[in-house]
Amino acid sequence: MNPEQHTDPIVGWRLWHVRPHGDAHRLESFTWHHVSWPARRRFTAECPTHGDSAPTEGHECGIYAFKTRELAEDLLRRYTGVRQHYGRPGQELPPLRQGCPLAIGRVSLWGRILARENGFRAQHAYPYDLFLIGGDDELARQLRRLYAIDVWLS
Amino acid sequence: MDIGAPDTEHEIEISPLEEPVPAPAPIEEPAKEPVPA
Repeated sequence: MNPEQHTDPIVGWRLWHVRPHGDAHRLESFTWHHVSWPARRRFTAECPTHGDSAPTEGHECGIYAFKTRELAEDLLRRYTGVRQHYGRPGQELPPLRQGCPLAIGRVSLWGRILARENGFRAQHAYPYDLFLIGGDDELARQLRRLYAIDVWLS
Repeated sequence: MDIGAPDTEHEIEISPLEEPVPAPAPIEEPAKEPVPA
């Protein structure tokens, strides 16, 4: 069956680690260690089996994102024990360890996308905006400048 | 990341007119020495 064809990128939700690379912090994959997201260039999926054909059917390769913020928050709670809802007042602050910041936010997806009931596996992606957890003003400023996206402290 | 069961999967092709990636950062030129008149 031919895939649906669109021109507007899909916007999903996902998590990142924020780790130092040389003299700057970068976004890193949440589940793959030390896979850094490039700044001002698209991030393209690669697969050890399928190369740049990722994502492929019948496999688990590709760049992952959830359909909703709530699903990304659920993953955050399961991984870190953080109980927080972003952008809503009156919620508790996350008890993250110092020096291990995370980010939760929206991500643009395009190219070949395999959509499931709760999310996507995509060929190309770039961060759309994000909330920084466990960081400070200086780190938010650094990420804002590096990726040229909106970054808020949560 | 649990995005759902594989049997719910369907393919979408997104070909944006312009990729949602910001322009490269401008190159900062070094400050020039003032030239005496």
